[in-house]
Parts: sequence; structure tokens; C-alpha cells
Amino acid sequence: MSKFVREELTINGVKTVVHTAGKGEPLVLFHGAGTVDGFEFAAAWADKFRVIVPYHPGFGESGDDPTITDIHDYVLHYLDLFDALKVDTMNLVGFSMGGYLAAKFAIEHGHRIKNLVLVAPYGLNVPEHPTADIIAIPGEEIVPMLVSNFETLKPSLPEKPDADFIGARYREATSFARLFWEHPTDPKFPRYLHRVTMPTLIVWGDEDKLIPVQQAPVWRKFIPNAEVMVVKGAGHIVHRDKPETVEAIARFLA
Amino acid sequence: MAGLRFNVMHFMPYVHLPENHKDYKTTWVNFPNKFYDAEKGHELYQQYFEQLILADRLGFDAVVLNEHHNTVYSMMATPNVVAASLIPQIQRARICVWGVPPNFMMPNRLAEEYAIMDVMSKGRLEIAFPLGTGMEYWSNPVNPVTAREKFRESLKIMLQAWTADGPTKHSGQFYTYRFLNPWPRPYQKPHPPCYIVGSGSPETIDIAAELGLGYSSVFVPQKTAQDLNQRLRDRAAHYGHTIRPEQLPLLNFVYVAETEEEAEREYITHLQRFFEDYARSSPQWLAPPGYLSVEQLKIRSAGADKMHGGFDFKAISNSFFIAVGTPEKVANLIGEWTQRMGTNHINSVMHVADMPHWKAVKNMTLFAEQVIPRLRASGGVQ
Repeated sequence: MSKFVREELTINGVKTVVHTAGKGEPLVLFHGAGTVDGFEFAAAWADKFRVIVPYHPGFGESGDDPTITDIHDYVLHYLDLFDALKVDTMNLVGFSMGGYLAAKFAIEHGHRIKNLVLVAPYGLNVPEHPTADIIAIPGEEIVPMLVSNFETLKPSLPEKPDADFIGARYREATSFARLFWEHPTDPKFPRYLHRVTMPTLIVWGDEDKLIPVQQAPVWRKFIPNAEVMVVKGAGHIVHRDKPETVEAIARFLA
Repeated sequence: MAGLRFNVMHFMPYVHLPENHKDYKTTWVNFPNKFYDAEKGHELYQQYFEQLILADRLGFDAVVLNEHHNTVYSMMATPNVVAASLIPQIQRARICVWGVPPNFMMPNRLAEEYAIMDVMSKGRLEIAFPLGTGMEYWSNPVNPVTAREKFRESLKIMLQAWTADGPTKHSGQFYTYRFLNPWPRPYQKPHPPCYIVGSGSPETIDIAAELGLGYSSVFVPQKTAQDLNQRLRDRAAHYGHTIRPEQLPLLNFVYVAETEEEAEREYITHLQRFFEDYARSSPQWLAPPGYLSVEQLKIRSAGADKMHGGFDFKAISNSFFIAVGTPEKVANLIGEWTQRMGTNHINSVMHVADMPHWKAVKNMTLFAEQVIPRLRASGGVQ
């Protein structure tokens, strides 16, 4: 039985689904470009925090908003959502594309973020250690690349992908491509990262096959108050390969 | 009674595939272009031009070209270059560019290119607007997610450029024109005949219906094609347009010989290579993110694509518009299709894959001399 309570809001006319659990300081989790791995792991934080897991428009249980065409539109979406949820300051955890979004949010609204955690964040252009061209990798190939040990992900996957599963993944790929087909990264992004002044933890699996762990020190270079935690033996979805990562993040936030 | 019209459509494939080409999952998008030999390409252009010029002399009504990128399937990445070079060599037939995906051009410039060719050819140009296959979006720096909105806006700009006296303005999601005022303007008024080509997305058909343009479905099964024609007629009526038979070109594959056995012996291997090798794509290439609606993607992923890979001659000829045999058999089949599809516009591919020049010449000649007269005698769609 999930600890999470599902809530459905309408933000700028778009159905926005938020799952929450626990009481205390808000802890917001921004998911990545695929929602197949779920967020049950975040229930562990509910002992100490009010854990808030929204689905981004275009992903998971939230509705589509084709007028969202860049990452900044998502930042503005979250200003409205946080108003609706009466969340002022928060701890913010962003995974992959959600990490990019969390960093963008922190650049602009840093005073609202107590602590920031970026898990294998997307979005930085590191030519020596480039992010895999996620859009060009066929779906059936990218799924095993998400983790180091595929067995850890299998419980979240259908035995044989049916049309609904394929359709759901295509929809999320579409929402991702809407933002990143033409410009996978924003060259101006790093020049503003110095504005991320809150305590920041950068978490990365050393076996990440999509966004290489070598990008971690580059993020740290740009963010003044950041530390890096490299998780040995973990792939892109760090906490799937190494569930103890969830507890390590909680310790940082406490 | 509307008269029948006969086109020869050519893909101009690059036929010198490397021996190990089967090692490659597809011959599109990322099939290495080191395999392109320009000397051989030159010889092929010579042959293909000869075939299209012959089509004109044999009395075909039109020659048809189209655009594809990054593939052996077609050597016409910019079909307007090919069309323009054909204009002085093709004296009588109409020249159809079916066509350039407007999303890969600035709309005013595409409107200008077409107008130039229409004037040069003294009003013999016809145009189709394809969205472009999924493969073209992997090959061009254009976002497939917004392709349909951009396509619609491009069409609006082009039609405005041709029909409204300039300068006019346009302010849209993708383009701003302060002075839309292209010179020259088309020879045909208000503009050359226009069609939309596609593989049956309801979204695309609706654009044709709204603008009153023709529509040609490509690589869809017969029954689907019939439904799509009806859908276009219904949707066009909704917008106050009446679709005429000549606005529904029927894409088909044809090979004629003296006997059915000879026709099959001479043709089937090339048709098989066309489907298995030249059209060898992948689900990923066919549907980049956002290119299809999620509903369409689910429908298409459920019914695995019959056109791209996998070959069974009998099944394929029954499913698609493919006529192989004696002049009588081919004429009967085409006659039957025109009735069923409500069209009088026959758009025939007469050279496929690595078919040698002599077969293409023989095919076109027999078709012109023995199939067309039979069909003309029987009349077209009432």
C-alpha cells in the first residue's frame, strides 16, 4: 500500500497530478524524461518530510500542454503549481531531466530552495564527456541503458511491451523532444549556474551509460556550494541499482 | 466523362548497394554515404532522365518526382533541381514535384521555385505537399513534434503568396513575413494544381480537406486507401469543397510483359528488393518523437508495417495496388481500381529498385502502347 496520496489539480488549464506523503518541510522531487521507474523509493523520505512528487505536463499521469516548448516554461509551470500547493520554501531533488529543471528553477528562485540535490542531471554540454543522444537511441535499447543491473529495473517493466506501454513511452519521448530535438543543450546555461548558492549535492552513478559520471565535476565547478557523491556500481537511475542512495540523500537534506 | 490520366513516377534509386548491405538494419538515415559512388550515380541519372523523356514521347500525361534524404531509395534530395533540368527536355507532359516537404524550406522560397518552374514550363507544373516521412526528420534539423503545425503554416504562406497580390504580411508561430511579395508568380492561375501526399494520418487529410487540395495516399493497403479517399471527400464537403476524381492520384506499381509468367519472372525480384532493401526502414525511423499522435503510433505499432521489410509477392499484390502481367490483366486491374477508388488519375511507378534500363523501357512502352489505349477505350470514372 503506497503512502502517497494522489491529488489532481488544474494548472493553467492543464491536468497536473501530484502525489504527496508525510509531514514536515516540503521535499519536492522532479522526475526525469521517463516515468517508468516510478517514485515509490521516495516514500522513505516521508518520515521526515512532506514529500511532493508532481508529474510534469506531458509525462506520466499529468495532461499534455503543447504550449510548453522550453525548460523555462516548466519553471513557470512550477511557480503556479507551488502557489496552488502553498509551498514556499522547499528541498528540491531533481533526477536527470528533472535535475536540469531543478537547476534552472534554482538559478531563478534560489531563495525558495533550502537544499538542492541533482541526481545525474541532464542539460550540461560537456564535449569531452558528452551525454548520449537520448532521442536517437531506439526505445528497446535505451531501457537496459538506464541501470547498471537490468534485473533491478525489470519489476517496473511489462513482460512484453504492449501498445499502451509503447504509446506512453512515445508520449514522453515526444514531450522530451518538444524541448530538446533542436537544441539538446543550452550553451548559455552554465553562465548562470553561479546563482545556485544553496547547499547542493550532486549524485552520480559511476556506471551511468546515458550521462557520464565525468560530468559531475563540471557541475561542481559551476555551482559554488556543491559536493559530489559518486555511487559505485550504479547506472543512470542511481537509486535502482543502489537503494542506499535514497538514505544518503535524506542524510544530506537533514 | 472525365478522361483518364497516366503518370510515370520515378524514385531514381541508387542501385549499387554494397554486398554486405544486409548487415545494416536500414538503408535510410544512417546508412553510410561512403557507399555512394558519384561515377555510378552519374550513369544512373542519365538512364533515369532517358526514361522520363521517353515517357513524354510515349504519350504519358505526366512525370512525377519526389524528395527523400539519406537513402539509396532516392537520388532526389532536392527534386526541384531534377524537375528544372527536365523542363526543356520534356516537351509535352506535365511535370509533377510530389514533392518537397515545405518544412525543410523557407515557404516563400519554395513558392518562388515552384512559380519559376511553372513559368518556365508554360504552366505544366503540378505540386504535392508532403509532411515528409519520419526518416526525413531524422535527416533534417526540423523538430518532428511541431511538424504538423509548421506544415500547415507553410501551406498557408505559399497559397497566400500565390493568390494574394503582394506585398502581403504574415505573422505566425514559425514565420514572420513583413513583405511577402514573391516574383515571379505562377503561370497557372491561381496556382498549379496542388495535392497533399501522406500515409493516412487523419490530421493530414483534414488539412487537404480544409484547403480543398487533392490527396494521394502512399504505401497504405487498398482498403485503407479507399477509406481515405472517402474520408477526404466527406471532410472536404464539411469545409464546402468538392473533390474531383483527378484530385485523387492512385499510386500503383506496374509491370507489363507479353505473358504473365514473363512479367513475374522479369519483375518480382526487383519488387522484392524494393521492399526489402530500398524501403528497409525501422519503427524508430518511421516515427520520430511527436511525428505521430500517440493514438496513431499505437495503431501503427500494433499492425507491424508491411511496406518496410518482409516480402510475400501474392500477399503484397493483393494488399497494395500492384499490377504485374499481360496488358489485358494490367488494364483490367487498373480499370477496377479507378472505379473502386473514384479516381481517373493513375500514378504508376514503372521502374523499381535495381531494375535494368531495358526493362523500364520495355515496361513503359508496352504500357503506353497496349494498356493505355485499352483503358482509354473503356472510359474513366463517371
